[in-house]
Amino acid sequence: MSTPTYLIRRALQALAVILIVTIVVFALLHALPGGPARGILGPQATAQQIAAFDHEQGLDKPLPVQYLYYLGQLAHGDLGTSYTLNEPVSQLITERLPKTLLLTVLSAIAGLLLAVPLGMWQAVRRNKPVDYVITTLSFIAYSTPVYFLGLILVLVFSQALPWFPSQAPQGHTLGQVLSDPQGLVLPIAAGAASMVAVFSRYMRAATLENLSEDYVRTARAGGSRSRAILWRHVFRNSLTPVVAMLGYYVPVLFGGALVVEQLFNYPGMGLLFWTAAQSSDYPVLLGCVLIISVATVTGTLIADIVQRIIDPRVKAGRA
Amino acid sequence: MTADQSPAAPAAGPILRLDDLGVVFTTQSGEVPAVSGVSLSVDPGETLALVGESGSGKSTVALAAMGLLAGNARATGSATVAGTEVIGAGETALAGLRGRTVSMVFQEPATALDPLTRVGKQIAEVLRNHRDISAKDAAAQAVELLRRVGIPEPDKRASAYPFQLSGGQRQRVVIAMAIANEPALLIADEPTTALDVTVQAEILDLLRRLAAETGTGVLLVTHNMGVVADFADRVAVMYHGEIVETGPVEDVLLRPSHEYTRRLLAAVPRLSVAGEDVPETAPAAASSAPAQAEPVVELDDVSVVFGRGRGAVRALDGVSLTVRHGETLGLVGESGSGKSTASRVALGLIRPTQGTVSLFGTDLARTRSRARRALRSGIGVVLQDPVASLDARMTVGECVAEPLRVHRRALSARDRQKRVAAVLDRVRLPRDVARRAPRELSGGQRQRVSLARALVLEPRLLVADEPTSALDVSVQEAVLDVISELQAELGFACLFVSHDLAVVQHFAQRVVVMRAGRVEEQGDTGTTLLRPETDYTRRLLAAVPVPDPVVQRSRRAERLTTLAAGRTEATA
Repeated sequence: MSTPTYLIRRALQALAVILIVTIVVFALLHALPGGPARGILGPQATAQQIAAFDHEQGLDKPLPVQYLYYLGQLAHGDLGTSYTLNEPVSQLITERLPKTLLLTVLSAIAGLLLAVPLGMWQAVRRNKPVDYVITTLSFIAYSTPVYFLGLILVLVFSQALPWFPSQAPQGHTLGQVLSDPQGLVLPIAAGAASMVAVFSRYMRAATLENLSEDYVRTARAGGSRSRAILWRHVFRNSLTPVVAMLGYYVPVLFGGALVVEQLFNYPGMGLLFWTAAQSSDYPVLLGCVLIISVATVTGTLIADIVQRIIDPRVKAGRA
Repeated sequence: MTADQSPAAPAAGPILRLDDLGVVFTTQSGEVPAVSGVSLSVDPGETLALVGESGSGKSTVALAAMGLLAGNARATGSATVAGTEVIGAGETALAGLRGRTVSMVFQEPATALDPLTRVGKQIAEVLRNHRDISAKDAAAQAVELLRRVGIPEPDKRASAYPFQLSGGQRQRVVIAMAIANEPALLIADEPTTALDVTVQAEILDLLRRLAAETGTGVLLVTHNMGVVADFADRVAVMYHGEIVETGPVEDVLLRPSHEYTRRLLAAVPRLSVAGEDVPETAPAAASSAPAQAEPVVELDDVSVVFGRGRGAVRALDGVSLTVRHGETLGLVGESGSGKSTASRVALGLIRPTQGTVSLFGTDLARTRSRARRALRSGIGVVLQDPVASLDARMTVGECVAEPLRVHRRALSARDRQKRVAAVLDRVRLPRDVARRAPRELSGGQRQRVSLARALVLEPRLLVADEPTSALDVSVQEAVLDVISELQAELGFACLFVSHDLAVVQHFAQRVVVMRAGRVEEQGDTGTTLLRPETDYTRRLLAAVPVPDPVVQRSRRAERLTTLAAGRTEATA
């Protein structure tokens, strides 16, 4: 398939996926008991007040009608207005998304930069002490809840050892956030931990598999040294499956951000989502889910394109 | 390539010498000796063939000589290449030796190359491992090497990825890497086993020419006695990790002294050649099967097209063939000729794009699911891979009983067991294998389990797709014998797909030769494979090496003359 045809096809697929996600989330949110009126008007609100609120917000109309209305607005870039913050959702998201993207992208980069060499090191030293130590640490990092891990990081590196602040930078703009890089260290570490654990495992498995491939033996038979073979051949071949996994990991990263932002009081999407979820702020929740699904779909798309670049067989439809 | 780059081989003495070589593998179940007391030598310019069946340790010996044994292997004794000890040598010493003094060509060209690196770059890597030359010079030399190994348009092909090349071309690339630094010793481990016969003949010609040009010693590891007769000067026969016989190729192949060599050679199916006394091994069943018995399966003008539009592939093109009651029809051709597709159409697994398939006199296209299932219960199938075609989570008994569970639901568990036991008897397996797992059996035994499963419903048609090509010759003979005997007893028709013309000649009464999705020619095996009518079949037959060095030498000369004549004709 030629590259433009491929890109158009994938973009259309991505749109369809996002549309389906909005339907599912819309239906699920409205199926929740309670509804937003109770949350906003408080426990003292009368039935009439609730009915009036529902009518005002269009919540008394049939679900499909509400959904179509929402889609119509969406087409105009209008994500609705927050019930609680009285601000347009699009504005809330544009304010906070860059900060969350900064956090997740930096966490992902830090995670991968650690995970890939660690995994390769483990594969080369398979079943040696180093491998066992890293495996154990990986399982601990993976099985510890992010929240708990974050607390430990704060206790150790902020309280016991006063190296880093326990709170994330509080600025409104990216520039303000970046002006305090020290404050980003612990949030990024907390966000990257599970990523390092998961991706070092993938990389270890992929490297081990490739080390036992015939082409490694061919390279050795041609007089190449182990180190050269590892970097020239095995590294690239092992990276392909890892890149494919990366796309699917985007929602996990966002999920991590949700907790990390809450913990370090970082005013990003995660914190926004958290507060919205507690007050049944439908427009904000929908907007966040939409953004996360767009990010996920874009993530997989980028991963697939990168794979096409790394592996010529993918483009030719042979792998 | 200048003289100073040729390896520093000692003027006298063998280029490879193995002395009392032993290899032990450490596994979970303890130490497993693979090779012991192996001593041999290869002189410069000489080809020594190391032959034996799978598990005999021949590949282990080859890898030990390169210092390429797996991590759980321990080698003892001595292996010297050009006077340098390999056993126990460190990585630096080995890396200096590999690709320069000694090179290797592997069995599987599909996986021997890095899939993500352009072939020219992979060849250049071997050059630069041992010579201080610029990337540009190495790239230019890689193109030159591709030209030497007979790759057309080498300057373009150098930037191809391995998946863009055919199997034969990939093997040429591997050979180009092996000869890049003009090694004094070339180790070839089953270099042509994964290739079609015509490609095999070309690769063997290439290796022979390159070795002669540079006086390279060759250690050829193979199980194919035809290849040995075609290529080797001397032969060493391995059995259970030890060398049982060594000698000049004429002596070992024509006058074997060891009992095992004799047995091995007796099991090799030999291609009968026109002009020879037609041996009594020619299929006799033809007489017992009525010449015009009812057709069991009939393909009439069948075409199969995979895909649509520009990417569409015409896998079959107007193929007609008939298999009759009690007879065996051999379906031969090179890879990609459509023989497996044709067998799958006969099974009703692929719907023809055009044409009709009748099974037991019923048009498959007109049947509904239930009737079609009933028809299918009359077919048994045996496939190539004895490991992959049995479910590893089932016992042998469950595997064999599965067709009964599907098609004979009324059968009680006890009756089912009886039928399973009876069919295991028929394929000459002990009844107690029913309780064992497929992985506990040998390849030959597993293939008999597949056969038992295929025959448990007493089918009218057996479709066998390369049923013995993963097996050793001695095992192959036993499996084919079982099929013949049961066919005489049960009278089923057999569609036998194979790339091995010698096996088909011995086993089938009629043969269909396929090429590029079409039937090239068909007829009685005795006629078509002895006096073929088409050039294609003639070329196919000429490319099969026969395990007699004297006969093979003249066949090779004849084939090369014919090819050369064909070439001048074409250019004229």
